Amino acid sequence: MPNSSCTEWQPLLMLSAAGEELETAEHDRLSAHLAECPSCSESLEREKELLALLAENHAEPDAALLASCRAGLTDALDREEEGGWLRRAFGSLLPANWLSPRPAWSAAVLLLIGFSVGVLAPRLLRHPENLKAPGNPNAQVAAVNDSDSAQNNPADSSDPNPLANLARSPIDLRTADVAGISVLPSDGEDDSPRVELQLRSQQPVTLSGTVNNDDVKDVLLGVLRNGERFCPDVRLDAVDLLRARNNDPDVRAALCHTVRSDRNAAVRLKALEALDGTEPEDIVQQTLLSALVDDDNPGVRVEAINELRELAANGRVSSDDGHMLSVLRDRMQKDPNTYIRLQSAQVIRELGPREKF
Amino acid sequence: MGMSVALDGDARQAAAVKLGEEQALVRKAQAGDRLAFEDLVRRYDRDVLRLALNLVHRPEDARDVYQEGFLRAYRNLHRFRFECSFYTWLYRIVTNVALDHLRRRTSHREEQAPAPKETEGVAQDFFDRQPELRASANPEKSLLGHEVGQQIERAMKRLSPRERVVFEMKHYQGLRLRAIGDLLGTSEETVKNSLFRATRKLRESLDGIR
Repeated sequence: MPNSSCTEWQPLLMLSAAGEELETAEHDRLSAHLAECPSCSESLEREKELLALLAENHAEPDAALLASCRAGLTDALDREEEGGWLRRAFGSLLPANWLSPRPAWSAAVLLLIGFSVGVLAPRLLRHPENLKAPGNPNAQVAAVNDSDSAQNNPADSSDPNPLANLARSPIDLRTADVAGISVLPSDGEDDSPRVELQLRSQQPVTLSGTVNNDDVKDVLLGVLRNGERFCPDVRLDAVDLLRARNNDPDVRAALCHTVRSDRNAAVRLKALEALDGTEPEDIVQQTLLSALVDDDNPGVRVEAINELRELAANGRVSSDDGHMLSVLRDRMQKDPNTYIRLQSAQVIRELGPREKF
Repeated sequence: MGMSVALDGDARQAAAVKLGEEQALVRKAQAGDRLAFEDLVRRYDRDVLRLALNLVHRPEDARDVYQEGFLRAYRNLHRFRFECSFYTWLYRIVTNVALDHLRRRTSHREEQAPAPKETEGVAQDFFDRQPELRASANPEKSLLGHEVGQQIERAMKRLSPRERVVFEMKHYQGLRLRAIGDLLGTSEETVKNSLFRATRKLRESLDGIR
């Protein structure tokens, strides 16, 4: 056994016996020590004897065991291939299988997927109607033939219904874009102004007619319903033109939607103005109240309270509408704008006797 | 000296050719060529079985480790990216399978059950019935060898699975400590400590044999 002072040499003795693991400096140091220390020399010899003993008794696989293992593996591989073609076919589609060997491409693909989801998901989530089938009348807003510019411009056609002969292939506003709206002078037969819509589809299309034409109306409604896809100027023009048909239920609903959801205060204000003079339906009244409470822009709230006051003054609002009265009382007390607080009080007075509240 | 350099050069060239052949085989196997995979199996399966047998000791367990190791390699061949040699990659798989096996066996306390003796005979494994060629010449030596073998087996059972793997890799597979560390996913220093502990335990257990 080595001396207690030689304990520190034990790891080096072990490595020396194991062979080829000592650095040159360590080897030289150990050799020098062994030359002076018979105890450690004996210890090294015993270490080597131990390894020799273990090597003598080290199990070697015999041929029968190896043959049996090979036969078993062949059977297992056969079973793997029989049941594995489906797994391999679908396994290759699993992300882990094609992502891990190609990190750079994988990162690029993941970025692309993330970007696509980031762009498309908010759009789809905000407008679930976009998920409807392409035949959805809300989305199919215009029908034009875009193969020939002469045909595309119905003003050049002798057909009395300028859009009828264009109704060949539908354009989906989800893919077509309204590049611009031009308002032309009335042709005299109809008081309504003529409208020219420049649509950006796979091929540019120009659509013209009066707002009374259902195709034109549908395109304009599509602009309001998919407002986030169009610039504020186009939305303002659409609102302005649709005002002429504000008693149409579809138009009214689209204007109310614009008041509630358009990002641009000028467009919301314009839509509120376009609702002025409509039939006092519940949807309009609720939209006015909603704008009065929720809109951040004081100009929009002022327009909303003005219209409510006009409705009340004309007796077109029921004095029994509890919700309306509570909203007005809330605005009378809490709205930061003095004019709105005063006007809210005025509407309350006009709705009925003071003691009622 | 000049001859030695020439021989070294030839050896390197031969190793490079062998490596190229092996890589070609791996690529074929990755493309679904079953025969290429079986060729790879033939190259290394004796070493794999020896490793398995000396880690888990029981022939039936070694057969399981052998089969599971090669099946895992077959299933995951498409993930092999030539960042190390196929041999190293395969050894890593087999070592992990053997370690799992040893840990499972330890946790199930299977080793506490007395192993059937050959003389009890009836339920012997096929491989236990095969003739022991090494000890056939001298019955006395055979008996002594058998006793030594049992002592060594008991000593080996005192080692932890990791110590057993490190000892086996170092002394019987001839791997450097750094290579063992790479295989086990640990540092060379940790491997050195495991080897030191394993050697000390074996020395303590087998000190009186010679």
